[in-house]
Amino acid sequence: MKLYLKFDINSICKKVLQEQLDSLHLNYTVLGFGEVELNNSPSKETIKKLNQSLNDYGISVVESHKSVLVQKIKDAIVEMVYSDEKLSTSKTSAYLADKIGQSYGYISNLFSDVTYTSIANYIILQKIERAKQLILTNELTITEIAWKLNYSSVAHFSNQFKGATGLTPSAFQRIIDKRKNNIRNI
Amino acid sequence: MQSEIIRVMLADDDEDDRLFFREAFEEIKIKTSVTTLNNGIELMDYLNKPNIVLPHILFLDLNMPGKTGLDCLREIKANDTFKDIAIAIYSTSSSDEDIEETFVQGANIYIKKPHDFVMLKSTLSEVITLNWQYHTNGLNRDNFLLSI
Amino acid sequence: MNFKSLLNKSNLIKSIFVGSLFVLIFISTITYKNSVSITESTQLLIHTQKVRVELEQLNSSLKNVEINQTSYFISRDSIFLKDFNDSRLKVSESINLLQSLTHDNLKQQNNLDSLVKLIRLRYNILLENAINLDDSIQVNAKRFNKSLLEGKEIMKIIRNHINKMIDLEGVYLQEQQQHYEKETYFTPLYSLVMLMFSLIVFIISYYKINKDLEALKQANLILKISTETMNHAEDIGAFSSWQWDLENNNLVYSENHHKLLGIPTQEYNAKTNQFLDFVHPDDRHIIISGQNRVIEHNQSTVAFFRVIRQDGNLRYFKSTGKFLTASSGNRILIGINMDVTEEYLVSKSLEDRNSELEKSNKELASFNHVASHDLQEPLRKIQTFISRIFEKEATNLSSHGKDYLERIQVSAKRMRILIDDLLLFSRTNKVEKVYERTDLNILLDMAVLELTEQIEDAKAQIHRTILPTLVVIPFQIQQLFINLISNSIKYSRKDISPIISFACKKINSSDYNELIKEKNAQYYKLSISDNGLGFKDEYKDAIFTLFYRLHNNSDYPGTGIGLAICKKIIENHKGFITAESTFGEGSTFHIFLPINLNKR
Repeated sequence: MKLYLKFDINSICKKVLQEQLDSLHLNYTVLGFGEVELNNSPSKETIKKLNQSLNDYGISVVESHKSVLVQKIKDAIVEMVYSDEKLSTSKTSAYLADKIGQSYGYISNLFSDVTYTSIANYIILQKIERAKQLILTNELTITEIAWKLNYSSVAHFSNQFKGATGLTPSAFQRIIDKRKNNIRNI
Repeated sequence: MQSEIIRVMLADDDEDDRLFFREAFEEIKIKTSVTTLNNGIELMDYLNKPNIVLPHILFLDLNMPGKTGLDCLREIKANDTFKDIAIAIYSTSSSDEDIEETFVQGANIYIKKPHDFVMLKSTLSEVITLNWQYHTNGLNRDNFLLSI
Repeated sequence: MNFKSLLNKSNLIKSIFVGSLFVLIFISTITYKNSVSITESTQLLIHTQKVRVELEQLNSSLKNVEINQTSYFISRDSIFLKDFNDSRLKVSESINLLQSLTHDNLKQQNNLDSLVKLIRLRYNILLENAINLDDSIQVNAKRFNKSLLEGKEIMKIIRNHINKMIDLEGVYLQEQQQHYEKETYFTPLYSLVMLMFSLIVFIISYYKINKDLEALKQANLILKISTETMNHAEDIGAFSSWQWDLENNNLVYSENHHKLLGIPTQEYNAKTNQFLDFVHPDDRHIIISGQNRVIEHNQSTVAFFRVIRQDGNLRYFKSTGKFLTASSGNRILIGINMDVTEEYLVSKSLEDRNSELEKSNKELASFNHVASHDLQEPLRKIQTFISRIFEKEATNLSSHGKDYLERIQVSAKRMRILIDDLLLFSRTNKVEKVYERTDLNILLDMAVLELTEQIEDAKAQIHRTILPTLVVIPFQIQQLFINLISNSIKYSRKDISPIISFACKKINSSDYNELIKEKNAQYYKLSISDNGLGFKDEYKDAIFTLFYRLHNNSDYPGTGIGLAICKKIIENHKGFITAESTFGEGSTFHIFLPINLNKR
């Protein structure tokens, strides 16, 4: 008899990862796609053990100074975008350099190498994501959102939104609303 | 560093477009594996086969015989197994109705096929990169809409 | 004249009648009362007269008594004695009579009593004389003289007394007379006044009734006219009316009813010509269910059905009704049957034409699809392949090959622009239009942002003004701004950097000839002027025509669609666009947008 199996590689990886992490009594969050967040810093010994046990499944821990730094930059950007303090665009480079403790030129190059995108684009991405969230809460008008996210004008905001998504803020809102109704109807 | 190869899949009945698509990815510096399928029926048969590795991102031509891109989109969105696949519509048409309809049906990206190879490369590269951002930054994929 | 005033009139007549009746009763009562008092007064007069006569009688009787006695006394003739006795009897009779006459009068009774006493006294004197009749003549003469004197004295007193009583009666009579006069003094006046009053009332009533009759006549005439008008109207309008008394299920049709069914008047018989028999068999259920709805749910509906006339003609009917409560209190449904065949046929042909239009619209939409997809696809591939050759094979090409390829590329590009513009134009005409209240300043911002590159390349200056907030299709107005600005930049004079100025003001349509016929009274007039090439005045309308071009393609590449799109956009907003120009100095586009857009 022949059995046909169907499986999801991601779920398997996740499962294996969870088992191994659990056996080492680590406190963690699986971020998916080859990333695990350890909530407290374990010893080098523990990491080594984990690496050995995961190697049996063809998984290896990639410890990279660069990735850690990039994550730090990303966190700093998210924090910056989501704070209600208004920061002029010209000051973001100084803010990030200060926060990471490296020159802006260095972190900007590093960021581009690792993520295939620039810090400026990443900031826009995060800002637009925040804008999307604000649009969907339906509490603020487009004008208010533009002001809250420190855009110089509604036109500038709409333009950047359109540049990032190909859609106007109102079209975005309409599509998401329709999609929700669509799911509800099914 | 990108540690994983991004799996890209395309369903398009036009041979030339499949060629452009593959050639474009060959020239893009992002690590990808590209699978192309000749139409919607072939695509769905493939996806429903057991034991296959699902793509990270699927490009769908809209105008295909048998099963149109929209048919495939609906089928994929109705099946929970495929919920992690990002769907990019890849079409000649760029009518607002088509764009809105596919987004409402659950597509994440709408690409109007560029009429220049350089532009095609940059567009595909941008799409892959942005999709990657969503994957790696824990962003809400429900809000991921891109029309390019 | 309406029912209510007629009703009021009849009430007025009733009240006049009742009033008159009361007046008559009043007059009768007064007259009766007067005649009664006249009778009473007369009787009293007679009574008083009787008393007086009787008193006189008494007086004379008494005198007779005296005379007879004296005569007897002198003559000793028994005849006188007999007369004496007769007179005494008469005196008693008179007294009795008087007593009965004055029984209701205490004063006269008292007087009578004292009179009787006096008479008795007189009698006593007379009797004394009689008793002593046998005595000697001297003695008797002496006594007689004495009694005669006494008698005379008493008679004098009696006489006085009687006179007093007569006087008293006289006084009574006078009093009575006065009272009667007083009572009857106003009677003729009363009667006269009353008579006059009733006369007036009757005259007014007569006048009123006459007038009402006149009005009734008039109303009747009007009614007759309106009935006739109705009949004619029914004839002209091809409808008939009916009344359905729901209480007794009585259905009455107007005269035109049978004409609508194609039955000659003389042949029509309400009993045998049942309406339902004329209704198309397939439509009878409509009538029946309509009637049931009326009976069961008290709902009247509009019904459309077909009727086959007696002559076999097929007609389309419309029936509609309304509930009324008749003056009898019965609920009735009144309504009309209409022959709407002509209207039906007209609307049907309109419908057909509409569906044809819809079909051609759909064909147009599918043409759009062809343009957007099927035409674009091969073109896109041609362009992509050209770009592939330039990228990979450029070194292998001869300079000629490269030149030809470049020319192919330019042509392909132009074709793409044409297709894109054409699509944009047909999309401007799209059915679905989303109107939103939008700040035009923001739309201009976005247009300028989109054109940043062009503006910077041409070193164009844009002088803006504050624009209003209007209900518009936002992306179309943005497109309008983009088209106009890029037009101004494109057709600028060489070596003079373009200056594009916006102006805006509120205007009344009556002040502009081109708007004077419009329903929207108030407009915003947006003027966009530049210092570019301008055009000759004769082209000011032609430039808005699709594919119309003023310049050679090699000098100023374009498709001739941009301004046509602008015109279409403004038409979508129920506005107007005009252009004016001084050739070689610049041009101005005026856009009139209604302040209150009447959405379709």
